[in-house]
Order: sequence, then structure tokens, then C-alpha cells
Amino acid sequence: MDLIVSQLLTGLSISSILMLVALGLAIIYGVTGVINLAHGEFVMLGAYCAWLLQTQLGLGLIVSLIPIFIILCLFGWIIEAVVIRHLYDRPLDTILATWGIGVMAQQVVRLLAGGELRYVEMPVSLSSSVNILGATESAYRLFVLFIALGLFVATWYIYRKTTFGLKLRAITQNRAIASSFGVNSSRVYRMTFAYGAGVAGLAGALVSPLKSVSPEMGTTYVVDAFMVVVLGGVQSLFGTMASSAILGELSGLLAFFSNDTVAKAVVLIAIVILIRFRPQGLFVARMRS
Amino acid sequence: MLGKISTQIIIYAIVCLALLIVPVFLDDAFLLNKFSRYLVFAILAISLSLSWGYAGILNLGQAATFGIGSYCMAMGLKLRTIPVHTGSDGLPDFMVWNNVTELPFVWQPFHSMTFSLLAGIFLPAIFAGFLGWFMFGGRITGVYAAIITLAAMVVLNLLIIDQQAYTGGFNGITDLAQFDIAGITFDAYSASTYYLVAICLAATLFAALAITRSKTGLILQAIRDQEDRVRFFGYDVARYKTFVFMVSAAIAGLAGMLYTVVMEFASPTFLSVPLSLSVVIWVAVGGRQSLLGAVLGALLVTGVQGTLSESEAFLDTWTLIMGGLFVVIVLVMPKGLAGASEMLATRFFAKEASSRSITSQQEIKASLERAS
Repeated sequence: MDLIVSQLLTGLSISSILMLVALGLAIIYGVTGVINLAHGEFVMLGAYCAWLLQTQLGLGLIVSLIPIFIILCLFGWIIEAVVIRHLYDRPLDTILATWGIGVMAQQVVRLLAGGELRYVEMPVSLSSSVNILGATESAYRLFVLFIALGLFVATWYIYRKTTFGLKLRAITQNRAIASSFGVNSSRVYRMTFAYGAGVAGLAGALVSPLKSVSPEMGTTYVVDAFMVVVLGGVQSLFGTMASSAILGELSGLLAFFSNDTVAKAVVLIAIVILIRFRPQGLFVARMRS
Repeated sequence: MLGKISTQIIIYAIVCLALLIVPVFLDDAFLLNKFSRYLVFAILAISLSLSWGYAGILNLGQAATFGIGSYCMAMGLKLRTIPVHTGSDGLPDFMVWNNVTELPFVWQPFHSMTFSLLAGIFLPAIFAGFLGWFMFGGRITGVYAAIITLAAMVVLNLLIIDQQAYTGGFNGITDLAQFDIAGITFDAYSASTYYLVAICLAATLFAALAITRSKTGLILQAIRDQEDRVRFFGYDVARYKTFVFMVSAAIAGLAGMLYTVVMEFASPTFLSVPLSLSVVIWVAVGGRQSLLGAVLGALLVTGVQGTLSESEAFLDTWTLIMGGLFVVIVLVMPKGLAGASEMLATRFFAKEASSRSITSQQEIKASLERAS
């Protein structure tokens, strides 16, 4: 029993990290159609911000989440204004341009912070472990899970219940018509990109105590996050959540029976087969076309 | 039209000749090795230009087929070394370290160099053929095709690293014999290897040019521009795409084999995400819809990369510069350098061309009047 629970918890922990990273990517991709290969670098920058705030200003991780979100939002805002806005009618070129941005971000970090691994300390209040139905789980991982769910709910609320979300959905359905009704689509796009970058930064900050922080850390996340988004179905927030849950649990389970590498390979093959037969993803957002 | 074709062929031939005579002026083993490496990347760029530029398939896993070719060559050459560290039955050293007692059956045929060479071309093609059949049969295009190719490559990479006993794992396959065929030994640091690579490059370039100029090539370009329309005309789009995907993979496999000869090892980094994306970069910089553009793009980017990364002043900043240049090129030159130079050329000759078009209009008018 406790073995099953602990397996489930391991899977959930992987899922929550996957969702944190994929959420920002899904928002940006779903709304603007930009394939942001620099997303992993946004995550990496978030982790470095956490490290910087902790070592330079002595800020705890939880306190620094808000400044990190704001910093990354600003960063995303600038990237959109300088590069991305020229590329909305060339979606495949966004892959190239954002990859270039990612390379630059990595190198800037390497120059400023050094190439060696960095470590972020876990908040003291969360460094204990919790007993759930006989299985132990670190409190911090549960905290990450709750934050991930909270961010998901917040994003869903913005998307579904606010005027901004309404404009956003209008643009996603038909940019030209939404614009002719007076929606400032370029402003909405820019805010979406900034928000996505901010969420990526939060993901990076939250992951930083669990994994070592390095300039290259983003590359591994971006491939995984892409798989989540594609599997879940573009433009479906619930799809993103569900597919990160599925992938997380599946990876946890397969890793239990074999090893991490084989688990990853099997999960990737499963995704490839799924894309082949359901390119629209597992969960399709209902839309009028 | 005929005039245009022959000008293009002449330009291609001049570039190939220029690349072939380099060793006459250059007598530096280290530089020759470096230039051979750049030429290998140029072949890899041709392979992507063929599938991406001409058929519209953005393959983010191009390094997968490159890596397969590279490993085939490495396996063939590994079995020709006399093991230094361990001696039984010519078993590769890393297998002994991993407690493998007998040569795995997958390795057996690589005792034959002919088999290794053929495998280096055909295994990537078969791999691509399977992947292409799988994707294009289901009408997977654009971003989804890109993601599937990327995922396929990551799986291959993971498996190679995981199966350390059979593939050398992270370390790859090192300590290889020198490639020799028909009595010529190809030392990686000699002109002979450079010539081998340069001749392969020229041959590949003209073979690819022939394909793009054939009817199949025209259909592929039509598929790139308007896939549905070509389908409505009754063409089996999936078959054409799979074909070009396989040819592209075979060329990438050839490049991989040459890379092993030049580098004297094979490594999982040869089929990794960074290399795959680099190929895309070279082709995008050179101009994806021009084979020669892809070649020059690869030579330019890798050349600049090599020079900057070796110079004292740019040691730390060269990646930054490369990334920035790349973003600028994507923004202002969507068709790469080839597209930009073409545009400049048309602007330069615009006067002449417009006057010519007026005369042709007049000719048409005259002939219409005659006909009526």
C-alpha cells in the first residue's frame, strides 16, 4: 500500500514540475502560435534569479518568487517587443529565432555567473518530510505541487473569467476579426508572452532546490515540455494539466520497473505514436472554426 | 531557361573546384583536418536543404541519421584496430570493460568494410524510410513532423547512451583504425582525407542538384508550396516526401561516416539536439532553398565559429555573437544569404530586366495581333 502511494507521489512530483514548465509554453504556443525554444532558458533564468537573490540579498525562496515572476515577465516583454512580434506570420521561423535567443541567454549567464553548478537552498520550513498514508514525501515537493495547481487555477481564471481572457480567446479564434472589433491584439500578444515567461521563471525558481542549477539546464526541460503541450492538445489548458499528469505518472512507473533512461525513451515513443494518430492532441479545446 | 541552368551549374562547379584545390596552397595538417570537418558539415547541410528547403519538411532530428552513419563507420574501423588494452579475439576494449565476453551479433557483419560502408548509407535511409512512412502516411506536417523527428532522435540518443556495453555509452567509440580503401590510407590529418571529403561533397551537391531539377524535384517543391493541390492532382504525396526524406538521410549518413574518418571517433553528441539545431542554423543562414547556399552557410557559420572560438578576444563571447547574428538573419533575411544576394542581384539588374519584359510584352502583343 505505502509502496503504491509513494509511487503515485513520485509520479505526481514529476508531473507538477512538468506542468510548471509546460504551462508557460502552452500559453504562449496556444495563443500566439510561437514555438518558443528559448522557454527552457526562461526556466534557467528563473533558477539563476533564485540563486542570485538568495546568495546576494539573502532572500528566502518563497519571498523571492514574486520578484522573479516580475523580472521574467519584463524579460519576456522585451524579447517579444524586439524579436518575436516580427515573426507572427512565420511560425516555423520562431523556432529558429527563439533558439538563437536561448543560445545568447545561456552564454550571458555563463559569462556573468560562471559555468559551474549552483545550488539553491530549500526553505527551512519546508525541508521536513510529511507522512501520507504510510508513505513519506518531502514537504517541499508537496509545496511545488500546490503551487503548480495554484498557478494552473490562476491561469485558467484569467483565461476564462476576465476581460483580458475574453480578448485573448477572441484573438485565438480569429485575429483579424477580433482586431476589427477594437481588440489591441499586439498588446494582448505581448502580455501573453510576458506572462508565459514569468510562469517559466517561477518554474525555474521552484525547481532550483531540487536540481542543480547550470546554464544548460533549460535544454532538458524544453523537449519534455513540448511533448506535454503537443500531447495535451494546443490551446487546451486542461489538456496540458492532464498530459503532464499522465506523463509524470508514466515516467515514475516505468522508472520503477526499469531505469530512467528506458522510461524516458518509452514515454517519447508513446508520444510519437500518439501524435501520429491524434495530431490535435489528447484533449481538444472546443472551438468554432 | 537553358542559359540560367548552365550559369547555375557553372557557379556550382567553380565552388567545388575552389574547394578541391585548397590543399595545393595549404600544407598544414591541423588546418586541413579542420577544413575537412567544415566540408563534412556542408554535406550535412545539403541533406537538410533537400528535405527542408525543397520539400518543406523541417527535420529537427537530422543529426540522428548523421549519427547512425558515424557509428556504422566507427564500428567497422573499431574492429580493425588491434586492441591495446585487452587482447582476446579482437574484442573492442570498452566491451571488455563492460564484461562482454563475446562480440554481439549486431557487430559481426561490421568485420566487412564493404558492409560497414553500405550500412552507413542504407541504415539511415531505412530509419528515415520507416519514420517517413509513419509520419507522412498520417499526413503529419509542419510543427508536428518537426517534433516527431526531434523525439525520434532523442530516443536514439538515450538508447545509445544506455546500452553502454554495445555502444560505448557516453564515451562513444574511440581508438579507431585509419580508414583505408583500394590501397589508400586516409589519415585524418592529411590531404588525402580532405580530397575524399571534398569529392564526396561535390558529388553530393551535383546529385542533389539533379534531384531538384528532375520532375520529382519539381513535384516536391510543389508539395512544399501547396501540398493539398498536389494531392488533388493525384500524386501520392506521402511517397514523394518519404523518398526525399530517405535520400536526405542517406546523404546525412554519408556525412556521418566521413565525420568519423575526420574526427577518429564516434560519440553520442553526434546525434544530439545541439548538433541537429546547428544544421538548421547553417541552412537557414545560407538560404534553405538553395543547395549551394546551404553549403556556403555551413562553411561560413562553422568557419566563423571555429575562428571566433579559437581567438583570444572572443573566447567567451563567440556563442553570444553567433546567437545574435542568427536572430538578425532570421529577422531581416528570411531566405538566408542566398535569398538576400538573389534579391540584390535582381535589384541590380532590375533596369535591364524590366526593359526586357517590356519588349516581351510587345512581342506577345504583336504575335496576338498576327494570330487574330
